[in-house]
Amino acid sequence: MDSKIAFQTFSLENDIKEVDPKDKLFDFEEAEQRRVVKEEPWKKDPHYFKSCKISAVALIKMVIHARSGGIYEIMGLMAGKVDGDSIVIMDSFALPVQGTETRVNAQNEANEYMVQFIEATRQSGHKESIIGWYHSHPGYGCWLSGIDVNTQDTNQKYQDPFVAVVIDPNRTISAGKVDIGAFRTYPEGYKPPNASTEYQSIPLNKIEDFGVHANQYYPLDVQIFKSKLDDDLLGLLWNKYWVNTLSSSPLISNRAYAVSQLNDLAAKLAKGQQTAQQRRGNPEGLVLPTGAELARLTAANKAGDKDAMIMSPPANKTSAAKGKEKDVSASGAVSLLPPKPVEDSALMKAVKDSTKIASEAQHGLISQMLKDIIFSNRPGIAAPSKTGSVESTVETAMAAE
Amino acid sequence: METDEAPTVLPSTTKSSLSISLHPVPILNISGHLTRLRLQTRKYAPFAFGALLGTQNGREVEIVNSFELISSGAMPKVDHGFLAARKEQYKQVFPSLDFIGWYSVAVAPTPMHIAIHEQLIGYHPTPLLLVLQPTSTDLQKDSGVLPFKAYEPTVEIRDRKSRNVYIEAPYKIETGEAERIAVDSTAKGGAESGTLSSHLQTQRAAIKMLHDRILALVEYVSNCVAGTAQKDHEILRALAALVASLPASENKYFRSEFEDEQSDVLLTTYLSTLTKSQNILNDIVDKYVTMTDMGREHGGHGGGLRSGKRRGEFIGARGMRIMEDWAR
Repeated sequence: MDSKIAFQTFSLENDIKEVDPKDKLFDFEEAEQRRVVKEEPWKKDPHYFKSCKISAVALIKMVIHARSGGIYEIMGLMAGKVDGDSIVIMDSFALPVQGTETRVNAQNEANEYMVQFIEATRQSGHKESIIGWYHSHPGYGCWLSGIDVNTQDTNQKYQDPFVAVVIDPNRTISAGKVDIGAFRTYPEGYKPPNASTEYQSIPLNKIEDFGVHANQYYPLDVQIFKSKLDDDLLGLLWNKYWVNTLSSSPLISNRAYAVSQLNDLAAKLAKGQQTAQQRRGNPEGLVLPTGAELARLTAANKAGDKDAMIMSPPANKTSAAKGKEKDVSASGAVSLLPPKPVEDSALMKAVKDSTKIASEAQHGLISQMLKDIIFSNRPGIAAPSKTGSVESTVETAMAAE
Repeated sequence: METDEAPTVLPSTTKSSLSISLHPVPILNISGHLTRLRLQTRKYAPFAFGALLGTQNGREVEIVNSFELISSGAMPKVDHGFLAARKEQYKQVFPSLDFIGWYSVAVAPTPMHIAIHEQLIGYHPTPLLLVLQPTSTDLQKDSGVLPFKAYEPTVEIRDRKSRNVYIEAPYKIETGEAERIAVDSTAKGGAESGTLSSHLQTQRAAIKMLHDRILALVEYVSNCVAGTAQKDHEILRALAALVASLPASENKYFRSEFEDEQSDVLLTTYLSTLTKSQNILNDIVDKYVTMTDMGREHGGHGGGLRSGKRRGEFIGARGMRIMEDWAR
């Protein structure tokens, strides 16, 4: 038996196969990289880099690291190379830094760690250099804060090429897809031609920070790449973990986040209403209870179920909620009467936010209902009502999209 | 090369009682390590090895992360300075993870693996070995088996001498929620997901998988009944227990929880719909106001606008009344 193994090992070791085209990205040509870094084509064009290619393993490591941070921001570095107008990230590693909100920044304690870690990585045969940093924004979307912009700017000045990657672990879980963004800042004084980017929901307490710096950087197109072996392995992995798709309940794992989203929506609606009233200069009328109130109540209702965190639910909440739900459309229409484009977009944003929350909740519900049909029907007893309710939920979800 | 040397792996009759959970990160790490070495050395199966990090609780082992190792000098010599430093670095970032074993790329464990194993005993009394079998990816692709094998070291006494050997250990794949999503989106090649259709597709794929497995079980049981398959009482008992536990959710507390959850979602949907209609209504009112403002400014120019304004006021007043009714 051993001889057979030895023969197999021998033939494998000496069997030179052609490099799979998929694997080409994993190769690292030192001379080529040195030439590119010397030429610095990105110095001439602030938009030089168009895309950011991330290897499967780097992505998964970053997502898991971001998730492990919980409510704290975490950060780490990424190694890779430049390939034409894209930045290729081949690997990522975590740094022993944890911060809250704005404080994520590589500090001295991390610097030493960084140097040692990179040194060790080189020893083990990695030739790639550090090409960027990543950090997490748990629950508030992928964008760069003022401090992030500064950090990225400094890095682009002194060790370009450099890219900033932001991951939102909470949204990743709630939307069921990796919420990731890659950014580069513009040089100082540069005015971007068109500043409009895709809308994303940003919590009220961050919106100022977002708005002030939004024009100082631009997003890169994020692509995922993997080697042929990765591809095979990932395909095989699915055979193993499909069970998790059925056994996990997105509604339960997202509860806390969904409640915080609803609270944020409530705050946004309330703020929108307030400004509308002020402008109208007309505090009387039938305006008080609104969509904001309903959102708050929905949140309270949910939170109440599990006796968790969030505010005290108001007394006789169901009846209160019912009474107020009716008011929503009426008061909303009246209080938002003055036509101002700013106000318009605030309400429009609230609509987008609430649609997103609702569709995520519906997706969760659909999987729960499917499971209910599969696992809790007695054989022989048809359950038309159940399939019917799934159909109607799917229809509402479709209508919402 | 056939020798009198005893095999390094004991026959599969001896089973390890370890329960090993393997996460996707080490799998992809090892894959990445191998791919890179292949490109650097231009060999199909270069020698690669590294450390496995994870947690151990009694006989339960979880392999969560990994890092590459280097040898000092001749091949099977571990660079201990490097290993220790690296271990320390990972400890700082992931304080809960310990060194629990190592991985390698090979068809099966050889005496060289035992030689490395003996150098690693200082870090963990029984370091596991995880082997990636480079050939099998092409061959076993259809069989659905991951080309990894886990081995637990043990001691065999033969001819009054003890020697280190490996026994194969079963393992299962473990994924957290975040890992699952990340693996999912990379496996699909970054296709746009998160929409309803992709969500439904994921559900469908999982249910189809379940269906396939159930069909396989049904076939086995019917073969057993027909007498064509050998009866494994352990499996049959497990099946009986499984069937007995269905339907899974008839408990009334579960029902009420489930209904609560359902109404929560419906309430959220209601909220979203209301916000939407509020926005539409707001748009209409805006347009109306713009129109009447124009009417006021250019009021004298023509009857058409004026009548428009009057009609608008009428709608406004009526709308107001309806709204007041609603409020009550």
